[in-house]
Amino acid sequence: MIRAPLVKALSALGSPTHQIASRAVRTSAIVAQTPAKAPEKIEVFVDDIPVQVLPGTTVLQAAALVGVEIPRFCYHERLAVAGNCRMCLVEVEKSPKPVAACAMPVMKGWRIKTNSDLTRKAREGVMEFLLMNHPLDCPICDQGGECDLQDQAMAFGSDRSRFTDIHYTGKRAVEDKDIGPLVKTIMTRCIHCTRCVRFASEIAGVDDLGTTGRGNDMQIGTYVEKLFLTELSGNVIDLCPVGALTNKPYSFVARPWEIRKVSSIDVLDAVGSNIVVSTRTNEVLRILPRENEDVNEEWLADKSRFACDGLKRQRLIAPMVRMPNGELQAVEWEGALIAVAKALKKANGQVAGVAGQLADVEAMVALKDLINRLEGETVVTEQGFIKGSGTDVRANYLLNSTIAGLEEADAVLLVGTNPRYEAPLVNTRLRKAYVHNELQIASIGPKVDLSYEHDNLGSDPALIKDVCSGSHAFSKVLEGAKKPAIIIGADLLEREDGAAIHATIVEYCQKLKKPEWNPFNVLQNNAAQVGAYDVGYQAGADRAIKAQPKVLFLLNADAGKVTREQLPKDCFVVYIGSHGDNGASIADAVLPGAAYTEKQAIYVNTEGRPQQTLPGVSPPGMAREDWKILRAISEVVGTPLPYDTLDELRSRLEDISPHLTRLGELEPAGFNETGAQAAISKSISGVAIDVKQKELKDYFMTDAISRASPTMAKCISAVNKQQRQDEQSKQSVAI
Amino acid sequence: MSLTMRIFTASRNGQRMFGTNGARLLAAKRTEPKDIVEVAKGYVYVNNKELSMEFEDITDRAATTMFFGELFRGFGVTLAHIFKEPATINYPFEKGPLSPRFRGEHALRRYPSGEERCIACKLCEAICPAQAITIEAEERADGSRRTTRYDIDMTKCIYCGFCQEACPVDAIVEGPNFEFSTETHEELLYNKEKLLCNGDKWESEIASNLQADHLYR
Amino acid sequence: MAKFLGLNRLTKLFQIIQECGGLKQTYLKLYRNDDLKIGTLVGIDKYGNKYFENPFYFYGRNRWVEFTPHVNMDYDGSQIPADWYGWMHYKTDLPPIRDGSRPKYKWLADHSENLSGTKEAYMPYTTTPPKVEAWDPSAKKQ
Repeated sequence: MIRAPLVKALSALGSPTHQIASRAVRTSAIVAQTPAKAPEKIEVFVDDIPVQVLPGTTVLQAAALVGVEIPRFCYHERLAVAGNCRMCLVEVEKSPKPVAACAMPVMKGWRIKTNSDLTRKAREGVMEFLLMNHPLDCPICDQGGECDLQDQAMAFGSDRSRFTDIHYTGKRAVEDKDIGPLVKTIMTRCIHCTRCVRFASEIAGVDDLGTTGRGNDMQIGTYVEKLFLTELSGNVIDLCPVGALTNKPYSFVARPWEIRKVSSIDVLDAVGSNIVVSTRTNEVLRILPRENEDVNEEWLADKSRFACDGLKRQRLIAPMVRMPNGELQAVEWEGALIAVAKALKKANGQVAGVAGQLADVEAMVALKDLINRLEGETVVTEQGFIKGSGTDVRANYLLNSTIAGLEEADAVLLVGTNPRYEAPLVNTRLRKAYVHNELQIASIGPKVDLSYEHDNLGSDPALIKDVCSGSHAFSKVLEGAKKPAIIIGADLLEREDGAAIHATIVEYCQKLKKPEWNPFNVLQNNAAQVGAYDVGYQAGADRAIKAQPKVLFLLNADAGKVTREQLPKDCFVVYIGSHGDNGASIADAVLPGAAYTEKQAIYVNTEGRPQQTLPGVSPPGMAREDWKILRAISEVVGTPLPYDTLDELRSRLEDISPHLTRLGELEPAGFNETGAQAAISKSISGVAIDVKQKELKDYFMTDAISRASPTMAKCISAVNKQQRQDEQSKQSVAI
Repeated sequence: MSLTMRIFTASRNGQRMFGTNGARLLAAKRTEPKDIVEVAKGYVYVNNKELSMEFEDITDRAATTMFFGELFRGFGVTLAHIFKEPATINYPFEKGPLSPRFRGEHALRRYPSGEERCIACKLCEAICPAQAITIEAEERADGSRRTTRYDIDMTKCIYCGFCQEACPVDAIVEGPNFEFSTETHEELLYNKEKLLCNGDKWESEIASNLQADHLYR
Repeated sequence: MAKFLGLNRLTKLFQIIQECGGLKQTYLKLYRNDDLKIGTLVGIDKYGNKYFENPFYFYGRNRWVEFTPHVNMDYDGSQIPADWYGWMHYKTDLPPIRDGSRPKYKWLADHSENLSGTKEAYMPYTTTPPKVEAWDPSAKKQ
């Protein structure tokens, strides 16, 4: 395994050869890691149970194979081995001392005793040392109840204390660090497992955290006081085995035993991370990642984790209708539905629908069915895509290489996207491939920090042609790669010449494609997008505006792409959604819908994987699930939709597209053929390629939920403050 | 002759007229209710005994009934107690003894500085077998862990005292007060303010109770 | 002989009447307290309640309170303040006026009787803000 900091340190030398140097280091390490031929398995005995393992397997892994779990604090499957907590000490026969199971590779014929007297004594001793310098503040510690130290002290610690210093004269105390508005630090509780340090430098790719001092004086910190600036900072909270790093917005809010947990998925980006929503008394308290190797491993991006307090702010809790004086006024459901139905009757089929970035598949299908029944045609997504019929072929808008697949890629070209903020967990995959798989990455677009080294080719769109024609230097890399991938940002395809860019790259990808490997990828950034295309929505709110409808439905459409000025004067705008934002403020009727933690709904992620959210809480006030609102409207209008229950709606989904109800399963999209696109001109304009989210502060507020979240607002102000401080210090250095 | 004598001296009270000797003579002649069941030595037969059917005993019983003997004896007891000191206590003015461990109305205590003790660890909420306690907490402006809601439904509470046993900081206690009955149900849904107010009111007594009991904890 | 005839009780009655200050006062006391007792005055609390003790009476009746006159007939068991509560309930033989270990913090609240049924009765209210903040369409966008 390679330690990323080593690579960084070498590259920081700044010499022109640094790239070669770092690559050499990585290559050599990989060569050293992978033996030439398949090695023979060796036999070891864990508690007298024989087990066959590959050479190089650690004692801890071998024990896990037979189901023996060795206690540990510093060891983590996805991080480098540190071996500094000593909790995993086990006895090995004929070894004079107990060995650290996490770091010691097994030898042939070893007899490992995980429950012998020596092992137990070693654990007790380590536990005693840890507890000696750990405060006894479990009652006020947020980790209490889900603390590894608590659990392991119960399971493996001694049952009596030899600690006599009841006046706490010599107990270690460490000053708390301020590392931002998301992670709260109580450094006295730290047991120096360095999981957070390793996570920051290996997975997140920021070397902000580190240790200073030795022995009893060792401290984890940021060296100088600064923010822990990363979009993945929340994961150190999960990693911390004690309560040293805790969730700041959630601090002191609840105990693990009083929480109800609901397995759901995240919709604030298009990755579709699997999450666990923790609720109590009908309130979403926090969001934790759920392990899913194919999507988010066990990480979660900060927006998905911390924006949940936005679910309690700016909510629509009662239907509203715009009164003649221009004010929105809360009314009963009956009044609101009748107002909408009246407008629909008058519209004579001039009805359109716009689905925003948080719309679920069920509601979108219901909206489409309703509009079609009213003889309307236009149902579109708020975000645009290439002009023409680009959404007909599924492979045209998916991340075809799959999120997990990108880990195996060895050459990646990013076009007009900043995966670090558009899809942080896709970026961790790329970084993982970069660290472990010698991935070479180039990007076309503005210079951004992707947390790993990459070639920025420039932001000139002509570069796309260069690369795709094979004349650019990076074309050679792509063509020589075993698994190349080109990732296009969804926002880029919204451009006037998006179709040309798309067609050019699709054509090139035909050349690059390998069996079982589609190099063409579109990185969506809206959770609703793929689902909308799958059920037959067209792309671009401009189509709805062009139709000049009499009634316009905005289904969670809050990006502000539809404005009052663009619509006809007598257009009746109906907003269905959970938050009062851009959409609701221009609406004539506001129908309160449910947010993603309040409904059972399907979302399709950027790789085309349908997954469903489950309701953790009930919608606030008079709010109802979105599809039920549309069903009710259809009843009042007199054209009832043919489904009364979610199951019936799901079977309608199955009729439209059978893959939508195969939850969690990935339907391969096949290869995108360019035949249909032949008519499109391939002239790419000269406008420089840009991405919307360049810096961390652009990341936090991208949708109605995160815009309503006070925590996200705090993050932005913290990042701004840090930037000002950095500039000031730079100036003072210059002076 | 002897028959008339026996009728004349029928009741037990009447027996006393003849003095102890005569009574003994009479008693010796009287047949005790006979035992139907043979009872082994050392055991006591506790069931109803069959009444004697001797003529003498039947007339005895008849006389008792006819002259309301038992009724008058009852009146006698009542009359005697009018002149005796009552055994009950005169409640609002006199109170019965209580233990320092008495578990009455709940209270939230404060530190001598006036700072509330409760740190929102929620152990009382967790242990409460009746689930009468509801706590919500958040960080206070000074960064300390405090409750924003501490509700006890006193109508759910079973006064088991587990909450005060669970409390690591002696914040929630069951105070000595039992005179908190109310006319409506909702008055017994205590919130944090009410509990703190109870603590402020009763601190003197709560502290002395804890002091009285501290050796046994 | 005097005891046999119950004369000692008569003597006691005259004693009580004398102590109360006349027949009328005695009648009023009996009317208010349902009982006539004499004992030593142990102390008076800050609300004016008088505490008496007389070991002549049996345990449980040997301590009693005469509620402060201004409450008139509206006396209530809960009017005894926390300080005297322990002495009244035989938890301690040390009346609070002689007990120096009683806390005297600034924040100690005044005693109040059980106010149920009056206008000042406690009514529960929430101590937390509402969980969901509704969108206000008239509020300006930040």
